[in-house]
Order: sequence, then C-alpha cells, then structure tokens
Amino acid sequence: MSDALLLNLVLFLPLAGVALLALVRANAVAVRITTAVVMAVQFVMAALLYAHFDGGVAGLQFATSVPWIADWGVSYAIGLDGVNILLVLLTAFLGPLVVLGAWTSIEKDITFFHVNVLLLQFAMMGAFVAQDLFLFYVFWEAMLIPMFLIIGIWGGARRSYATVKFVLYTAFGSILMLAALIYLVWALQQSGGVVSFAFSDLMRAELPLNVQTTLLAAFALSFAIKVPVVPLHTWLPDAHVEAPTPGSVILAGVLLKMGTYGFMKLGFPLFPDATQAFTPVLMTLAVVSIVYGACLALVQQDIKKIIAYSSISHLGYVMLGLLSLDLAGIQGAIVQMVSHGLVAAGLFLLVGMVYERCHTRELSAYGGLARQIPVYGVFFVIFTLASVGLPTTSGFTGEFLVLLGAFTAAWPQHLDGNNLPLILSITAVTGVVLGALYMLRFALTFLFGPAKAPHQPLMDLSAREKSVLAILTVSIFALGLFPDSALRKTELAAKTYQQLVSTSRIPANAR
Amino acid sequence: MLPEHLLLGGMVLLLIVTLISGARGLALPIALLSVGASAVAAFWLAGTGFTAQPFPGQFSVSPGILITKGALIALALPVLLMSRTDFSTAERGEIEFPLLLVSSLYGMSLLPSADSALVLFLGLEMMSIPVYALIVLAFRRPQAAESALKYLVLSGAASATFLMGLSLIYGTTGSMGIEAFAQALAASDLLSRTAVVLVLLALFLKAAVVPFHAWAPDTYEGASVPVTAYMATLSKAAALMVAVRLFSGVTVSGPLVELLAVLPLVSIVWGNIAAIRQGSLRRMIAYSSIAHAGYLFYAFLGNADGRLEAVTFYLVVYSAANLLAFAALPAHPDDAVRDRMETLDGLFHRDPFAASLIAIAMLSLAGLPPFPGFTAKFLIFRNVMAAGYNTYAVLGLVGSFLGLYFYLRVVQRMFMNNSTVTAHTSPGMALARVGGVICLLATAVLTIAPGWVLARI
Repeated sequence: MSDALLLNLVLFLPLAGVALLALVRANAVAVRITTAVVMAVQFVMAALLYAHFDGGVAGLQFATSVPWIADWGVSYAIGLDGVNILLVLLTAFLGPLVVLGAWTSIEKDITFFHVNVLLLQFAMMGAFVAQDLFLFYVFWEAMLIPMFLIIGIWGGARRSYATVKFVLYTAFGSILMLAALIYLVWALQQSGGVVSFAFSDLMRAELPLNVQTTLLAAFALSFAIKVPVVPLHTWLPDAHVEAPTPGSVILAGVLLKMGTYGFMKLGFPLFPDATQAFTPVLMTLAVVSIVYGACLALVQQDIKKIIAYSSISHLGYVMLGLLSLDLAGIQGAIVQMVSHGLVAAGLFLLVGMVYERCHTRELSAYGGLARQIPVYGVFFVIFTLASVGLPTTSGFTGEFLVLLGAFTAAWPQHLDGNNLPLILSITAVTGVVLGALYMLRFALTFLFGPAKAPHQPLMDLSAREKSVLAILTVSIFALGLFPDSALRKTELAAKTYQQLVSTSRIPANAR
Repeated sequence: MLPEHLLLGGMVLLLIVTLISGARGLALPIALLSVGASAVAAFWLAGTGFTAQPFPGQFSVSPGILITKGALIALALPVLLMSRTDFSTAERGEIEFPLLLVSSLYGMSLLPSADSALVLFLGLEMMSIPVYALIVLAFRRPQAAESALKYLVLSGAASATFLMGLSLIYGTTGSMGIEAFAQALAASDLLSRTAVVLVLLALFLKAAVVPFHAWAPDTYEGASVPVTAYMATLSKAAALMVAVRLFSGVTVSGPLVELLAVLPLVSIVWGNIAAIRQGSLRRMIAYSSIAHAGYLFYAFLGNADGRLEAVTFYLVVYSAANLLAFAALPAHPDDAVRDRMETLDGLFHRDPFAASLIAIAMLSLAGLPPFPGFTAKFLIFRNVMAAGYNTYAVLGLVGSFLGLYFYLRVVQRMFMNNSTVTAHTSPGMALARVGGVICLLATAVLTIAPGWVLARI
C-alpha cells in the first residue's frame, strides 16, 4: 500500500465509520464497539504513518494533490510535514480513548452522538492534513457543526447558551479569515499570475507591510479565538463546563490545538514581516494568557473551569514558543501542543468520571477521594503533576523548551536594547509557579482532607476507565522521558517554520 | 425551443385532459412529466452543444443558457411534488396548482434566453401573473387574499416601473435589444440615468431588496407552503435572471456602484437581523431571502467575468436549500401552525429524517462549509474582491455572519429542545419527501463537485 493512500484512508475512515453506524444503529453496544474499532484502526494506520515518516526529509510526505475546483485554483491537496504528523497522531490516538471514555456518560441518542464524534474526527483530521487553504477552511469550519451538536444535545443545563456562544465566537473569526484568504489568493494572482490555494504557492506571495498587517490581523483573530488567547477566551470556560465529558476531551485534546497549529502553519509564515512587527504585542498577549489563565484557575470553584482556565495558560506557552523563533522554543511549542492534548484529555476524563459518580462539579463538595477511591487518586496525582510540568512528564519537556527558547531567542532587531522580551520571559516563568499552585490546591481539596462526597460508597475505577487512563499515562511518560523521537521528526519542520518567518516577504519595490 | 415546447405541451394537455375527460388525478402526473421532460431536454441539448437563434435578436439558446434553464425548470419538480399536501382535492386546487405552476414556469424559462427587452418583459409577466392566483389558491387561509393583493399591487408597480424604464431606454437608444441597456448605462444624460434607475428599482422590488422588501414576509406567510417555496426560490431567480441578461458584458462603475452595493448591503444586514425575531419558518425564510437577494446583487459589482456563473450557481444552491427545507417540513392539520418555530421543537426525536434535511438546508443557507451555500457565497465574494471592492466584501461577509444565529436557532430547536406536539401524517408527505430527496441529491452534487458544475454553466 502506498503511503499517500494510507493517509487518504486515515482521513476518510471516520466517514466510512458513519456509514457502518447506519447499519448497526439500533444496538447501543454495537454502535460503541463499531466506533471504537474504527477509531482504533485509524490510530494504527496513523501510527504506521508516523513510523514511516522520515524526519530527515524536509517538506511534505505522503502527499496527494488532485484538482477540485480547477478554475479557482482549489485542489484536494493533503500531506504531512513534521508538525502535522504529530498532531495527526495525537488526534488518532485520542479518538478511541474518547469513545471508551464516553461509554457510560452518554445515554441518549447514542448513535447520533457517535456519528457526530466520527464527523468531528474527520473534520479535525482534515484540517491537520490539508495543504490547500480552501480545503483547510472547509475542514476548519466543518468542525463547528458536530461540536455545536455535541455540546447542544448532550451538554449541561446551560448548553444552549454555551453552544451558540461557541459557534458565534469561532465563526466570527472565520468570516474575517475568509475575507483575508480570498484577498490573499487574489493578491498572489496579481503579483505572480498563479491562481492557487496551495500552501506552497501562497508562501511565495509578496505583500507590502500594511497589507500583511491587515491580513495577519484577520487570520490571527480567527486563530486566537480558537487557541484561545486572552481576551478572546470567554467562550472556552462556558463550552467546557456545558460540554459532555467526551466533548470536553475533544475540545481540550485536539480542537484547541487548531488555533496554535493555524498560527504555525499559516498565520505567521504567510505574513513574516507583519509577524515580526507585531511580535511584542502578540508575545504580551501570550504571556498575559499564561498568567491570567493561571490566576483565574486559582480561584475557580467549578472543577471543569479549573482545567479550562489552565488550558488557556498552557496554550499561552505554545504561542510564546512559536513567537520566540528559536529552534528550541518552536520545538517546545510543538511538544507542548501534544503534551497539553494528552494531559488535558486525561484531566477532563478524570473529572468526567467523578462527575458520573457524584453529579456535582463544585470543588467544595469534594474531599478525601484518595481514601475512598485510591486508584482514581493515583491517576489524578499523575495527571496533576504532568500538568504542573514535573520532570519526566511531557509537560516538563514542553514548558522547559519553550522557556529556554524565550530566554535565548534572538528577538527581532527593533527590539534590541529593549527589555520587553526579558520581562515577558520572566513573567512567563511565574506561570509555572502559579500552575503548581492551582493544581496542587485542586488536588489537595479534591483528594485529601475529610471525605465530603455525598454519594457513599463510591465505586473505584472500572477496568475500562483504568485502561483508558493507563494508556494516557504511558504516553505522557513516553513523551516526557523519550522526547527525542518526536523532536527528530519535527526538527526540519521547525526549521522550515523558523526560516519562513525570518525571511522578509515585502516586495522589492516596496522596501 | 424544445424545453419551452414541452412545457407548453404540458399546459395544453393539462387543460384538455382535466377539462374534457375530468380525470383530475392526472393533473399532477402530467405536470411532473412535462416539467421533467423539459428539464431533461434542456440538459440533453446543452450536452450536445446546441446553439440556435430561433428568433434573431429576441431569443437565443446556447449550452450555458440551456443548463441554467434546465436547472431552474428542474427545481420546479420538488415544488410540484410537495403540492399534494396542500392541493389534494378538487375544491383545493388539485388541477389549478399544476396548471398555474407550469404556466409560470414557461414564463420563467424564457428569461435566460431573452435578447430583447420585449421578451424579458413578457417572460417576467408570464411568470408573475399565475403566481397571484397561486397565492389565493390557499382558500382556507384568511390571509391568502391579503397576501395575494399585496403581491399583486407591488408586483404590478414593479412591472410598471420596469416598463417605464424600458420605454425610456427605447426612446433614447431606439433599440429594444438588451444591449440598449448597456448603452443607457454608459450614457450620462438624465433620461438614460432615470431609465437605468427605474429598471433597477423594478428588479429590486421583484427580488425584495431593502427598502422594497416589505411585501415579502406578509406574502410568504399568507401563501401555502409550496407556493411560498416557489416564490422564495424560482420567482426570485427570475428577477436575477433578468438582471443577468441586462447586465451581460457590462462592467459596473461610477455612481451605479453605490446603488448596487449599498442597498444590497443594507438588505443583507437588515434581512439577517429581522429574521432573528420571526416566529414562523415562512417569515424567517422571507427575511433570509431578503438577505440572499443582497448577496446576489453583490455579484453585479465589478466586471462581468464570472458573474453569470456566480449568480446561477448561487441561485441553484440557494433554491435547492430552501426547497429542501420546505419539502421536509412535516405535515400538520393547521397550515398556520405547520411552520411555527414551536412546532419544530424536538423534531429530531419525532422525525429524524425531516430534521436532518431541514438542518442541512439551514446550514447551507447559513453558508457554513462544507455545505454548498459556502461555496456559492465564496464565489460571489471572490468576484467582489477581485473587482477591488474590499470594504464592501468585508462588510457583506460580516453581515452574513449575523445570519448564522437564526439558522442555528432552527437547528437548535429541532435537535436540542423537547417536543411539544405530536407527529401528524398526511397522504402527500411521501411525495414531498421525494422532492426533498431530489434537493438533497442536488445539494450533495453541489458539495462534492462544485468545479464540475461550474465548468458547465
């Protein structure tokens, strides 16, 4: 089997899964098993892709490109580079775990739920493999609909408000991105005569600084809402709190990476001069997100909100790493994306498991869980420590590399003699301390002290729950102890990104 | 003129069969057959690359025109299929509906081919007059007469304005050909300017562009569901076809840009905002169609390249989505309650298939990818940007964002609310579903292979 075919299969497998669900729709157990099997097969295939991916080759691998709407230069172009491959692997890895985690938490409209999960998986996978801006946009927007339904149908009491807020926020960003991408393609056509939406062609577009700035603003708004960067983050806690557990896991595990992925793959490389010019602003926002997210996490009473705000903080590091343009920082950002995907998914699963047992998310209603359900407690501590960034866990690798990059980075020339980068880097470090503070507070009230949980006695984790968490735990330590494999695969992609963003793309006559 | 002949034949046959033999049940099958055959003939002729000028200077056909014609005619099939729910018995217009619809369709089928103002006017009137009667056909609805009267007066005013404009153009240029309109556009004398503005106002009235939109919500609400579906889609398409013919080859510039950009922009914004508060699907679709008229007229900014493709593609996508929503609308003994928002609550649990069809229609109308409404909107805004009107493009896109909310509300009601009404069935529902499935297939083709479709327009 050719590798390009394998990637196509990985992409379209969830759609085939939807067709399969149509056959077994009456039987809930069959629906769950079918979905889990489809997702597992997808993961195996993605792992094969990862194994075959050659870190020593720059550029795309497993690529396919077929004209789709030829007159407009739109093609069905997919392929993987060192960054995409990790995110594809992460998405495929979390897929089966989401289904397993949702086994008992979803009780109504089971078939339709799994259809939505599969469609969401298809759209997310598509956004990560697309190498054509039109195709990317289609997948990017297509993610909204299944997520809208997942939160809106299976969510909590205020689901209606949360789901509309989620869609309106993200769609508003996308509308401006749409305008920008149409303009970008038109500008490319004006300068080079090529009508194309292919990433590789767009990266050649030369634009004056003011145009770059406007377009970057439009792209950045869309991606920043998705990340989310403070002050565009307010949809996230609502969406997380109201989403059902599997929805939260997908949202935190994969969807939030869309924003940072968008910045890395499109936003910054397409408009390098504007990015350089706005680095201080963007960096400040990233650091504000780190600290502000952590501060808010510190005072939350709702256990889901704690993790939601901590996500805002953790993704701030990714932004910081990407903006540092330092190889270590960029690599750290990539690792942090994957690491946050694993850790946040695990934490939301843990919260979901305890919610299923006690039906409350109030932190004050809990206490002493470690004694009542010790296995749960062990897993909770592991994920807490990974979130804090304890060495040997993936969280440490990511944050360490990002901060290393931030301190050693060669900041843009116009920042020479300016203390801003140093101040921001030091401020970012306080995020680590605050992170330790809120997670330990959370663990302390949650697991220790007098038992308060209203439902006695509590059942400890089932075999299914244990295995889901064990798989995630292994992956967190694997990435923390042996980040080399991942770093080797991403190194060239990080260098390409670094080079693209460092090279001016203002046309010669406008300099 | 084979497609037109087939429609005409259908009309004659309908009259003969139903009046002489009294076989009322045959009316719908005959209409379906003639409309279907006409659409197939148009597509088939287009496939053979047929080009002709049966009446030089008046009426011409080419493959592109035939495709447009075929698509518009084919979209009448779902309208006919969903008519059984409302027009099922003799006293409820079992014969009249198919007859009037085919007559109206005949008028519309002239429009894409029209080369002279005379044929345009004839086509437009032949299309509109049967619609007045179609609205009143919903006997049992108290608002039907009011609704029809509103449409009659407004549409009559539009026709008069249109005719006045055309006669001024004839007076200044001495020509009835459609190229006379382009000449009038280029001229700067007061008479030509007045003529152009009068023609445009008439088109805005017909297409319900703000501030000439007030008739649409009331008329749509008063008519029966199939008639509303027909008015919201095909009769809007007719007005746009007239505009496309008149503007063919014309690059819009000068003060006309403001007229062609500002009013449609206001339409987009106002239509989308007003739609939010509507309590019935028909009124909501009416306001949303006001917004869609705005997008469609946006296509006229800038030069003519790609305008026909953009407008035709948009019209087909938009019509397919609207017809899909109306065809899937479940039956209810009280027509006035049938499309109330409350009736849609929890539809997914009563009738998952209908709810899914309506949801797809709403998402396509909202312009969310991957549904073809997105591709259609993309095509239009791409033309606007390529013409250099970036500000208008961005404003229009932001305006279209306003519409997202009420389309999503419908989806939300169907999927997330609890059902308050019980399911009803009606003998016509199965046929209407067939119409819905046709629209679904069209939507699927437009989603997966927009490039294939566009290459053929």
